[in-house]
Amino acid sequence: MKIPAGFLVVCLMFSCFVATSYGVLFSSLKDTLIVTATHTQDQVLKAGEEQITVTWRFNQTYPAGTDSAYKTVKVKLCYAPISQKDRKWRKTVDLLKKDKTCPHKIVARPYTASNNSFTWTIERDIPSAVYFVRAFALNAQEEQVAYGQTTDAHKSSNLFTVQAITGRHVGLDVASICFSAFSVVSLAGFFYMEKRKGKVAQQK
Amino acid sequence: MPEIEGSPGSSMHGVTGRESVMAFSVASPMVHTDRTAKFDLPVDSEHKATVFKLFSFANPHMRTFHLSWISFFTTFVSTFAAAPLVPIIRDNLDLTKADIGNAGVASVSGSIFSRLVMGAVCDLLGPRYGCAFLIMLSAPTVFCMSFVSDASGYIAVRFMIGFSLATFVSCQYWMSTMFNSKIIGVVNGTAAGWGNMGGGATQLLMPVLFEIIKKAGATPFTAWRIAFFIPGWLHVIMGILVLTLGQDLPDGNLGALQKKGDIAKDKFGKVLWYAVTNYRTWIFVLLYGYSMGVELTIDNVIAEYFYDRFDLKLHLAGIIAACFGMANLLARPFGGFTSDYMAKRFGMRGRLWNLWLLQTAGGVFCVCLGLVNSLTLAITFMMLFSIGAQAACGATFGVIPFISRRSLGIISGMTGAGGNFGSGLTQLIFFANASFSTEKGLTYMGLMIICATLPVSLVHFPQWGSMFLPPSKDIVKGSEENYYVSEWTEDEKQKGMHEASLKFAENSRSERGGKVASAPTPPGNTPNHV
Repeated sequence: MKIPAGFLVVCLMFSCFVATSYGVLFSSLKDTLIVTATHTQDQVLKAGEEQITVTWRFNQTYPAGTDSAYKTVKVKLCYAPISQKDRKWRKTVDLLKKDKTCPHKIVARPYTASNNSFTWTIERDIPSAVYFVRAFALNAQEEQVAYGQTTDAHKSSNLFTVQAITGRHVGLDVASICFSAFSVVSLAGFFYMEKRKGKVAQQK
Repeated sequence: MPEIEGSPGSSMHGVTGRESVMAFSVASPMVHTDRTAKFDLPVDSEHKATVFKLFSFANPHMRTFHLSWISFFTTFVSTFAAAPLVPIIRDNLDLTKADIGNAGVASVSGSIFSRLVMGAVCDLLGPRYGCAFLIMLSAPTVFCMSFVSDASGYIAVRFMIGFSLATFVSCQYWMSTMFNSKIIGVVNGTAAGWGNMGGGATQLLMPVLFEIIKKAGATPFTAWRIAFFIPGWLHVIMGILVLTLGQDLPDGNLGALQKKGDIAKDKFGKVLWYAVTNYRTWIFVLLYGYSMGVELTIDNVIAEYFYDRFDLKLHLAGIIAACFGMANLLARPFGGFTSDYMAKRFGMRGRLWNLWLLQTAGGVFCVCLGLVNSLTLAITFMMLFSIGAQAACGATFGVIPFISRRSLGIISGMTGAGGNFGSGLTQLIFFANASFSTEKGLTYMGLMIICATLPVSLVHFPQWGSMFLPPSKDIVKGSEENYYVSEWTEDEKQKGMHEASLKFAENSRSERGGKVASAPTPPGNTPNHV
């Protein structure tokens, strides 16, 4: 009875390991889309206020028919290597299912070979970091088949910075001070009142 | 009829299913019930309750129990409130892995010192004010989260919030003023375990609050700050409840009762000396660092781990992380129970083996947790790890009351501080470093737990033995009296200060295990009944 149970456990663990290594790899994708954006090199954009216009088109130097499988395009905001340093939760992994480089969605559109552009106001939940833009072309099965990005293969040129909102509010600060003061004052008040009651009782 | 085999301070008495489950009572004829006192529960001559009625809120004993554990629970909630929200906070404040790790270390380090100070505060002001002062003065630190804008601010605020974990001391101190020493073990164990659950509850509460506040219209970077107001309000509410509904002692508040000076107070210096020079104290400080310490560490890292490794939504990662901490409801008392159970047959040697087994098992499961790639297996190993570690906490306090009778308070305090120190250390070594991943950190931590638990084999009691060595055959050296009375000098023995230790020694004979035949009274010791 012991051997089958152990075998089952090993099988289970093996299958879990195997399952994770199945999927589309980034290195298998072709760089067939030309993606440009309106930011200048190293520009700082404020989240929630400023905008960026992204345009993408099929690179005509590739043979015609390469893009026959492309059905949708997903444009994403991606972290540059400097913003991934010491932050494993933004790690670049070849297996796209596990890749965390491009978590922020800009837009998703049905695929057309040219005349694509989108003006995006940088959302207020985008963190402060250095970014580039990447567009993925997906087939009918929602799998990535091609890509294009605003930077070079080393992700070092044409990057821009987003300055996030602080998330702080004057109202919040005031409320915080009020409640803190209430806590300290009520404690002091209780202490003082009980000391006084004690003194009065002693005098009696 | 519940048979308490005279082991004061043992973690879990009476839970065998054969006795009435909810009323832990003292049946020993040595505790005289004061029948003139008008309390809801039967009390002894000091008006401390001799029965533990879990679902009662009667004043003052059970009300104190509930005020006390809920205050402790609240501080756990606020100390670990940031942990499940780290995926949002790290984006808002642009934190690196080192920043997150250092904040985790900071959150548990503050209370190493505050716990040591809290004992003195309770002595001076009473546990009621001790608890209320701490919880209400730490409320502003929780509200301070709304001002934090960078890594250093974040670390500083988490450090300050962490001071509030000293409510552990006021909680245990307050329990000992209200409950008889024969049931204080199970009372304190339950209060500590239920308080620790706060570390689990917060993993559930904070993401839910965050989602609700986000749905109400706030952006994520503001929503998490608003969410922190809830633990802050809990601090204030509990502080007010403790001040208005609580009292220091069964008969009233400390100020009024401080006139009674008939109990000769022991000298702090002496008590500290006997705690520090007993090598067993230090082994347990180390051990607790790898049961309670790793529990606190996991409270800080596990939600982020599940969020990142398995790509779960924030509130789902929070639910899983919560299960770890909530296991304390039963796991910690379970550890105390197995300790008592092993003691019945094998005595103290059984307790030590039990502790070693539970803590090592916890370490093994921690190693596995870091190695698996599937969500189901990760959750399974996490739960097994939680049971091992938390039961080990309960089992630790099944042995500690026997290390010393004179210095029990300080040893308990030092052990508690050791837990926090262990947590700070493991977070610093394994989780603040960008050079290896969290899963590797978990595996290495598991290996360290296994290694750090080995010293329990060195704990030797001459009268009961140790894991590998039998008790001393010498009639004098191998007696409980000799061990406990050796903490008093001849001078002090002349004054009769060692009487309580003698009583304790006689009661502790059950730690020999098996059939406890009446052991011969060693020559030269005053028998109790004279």
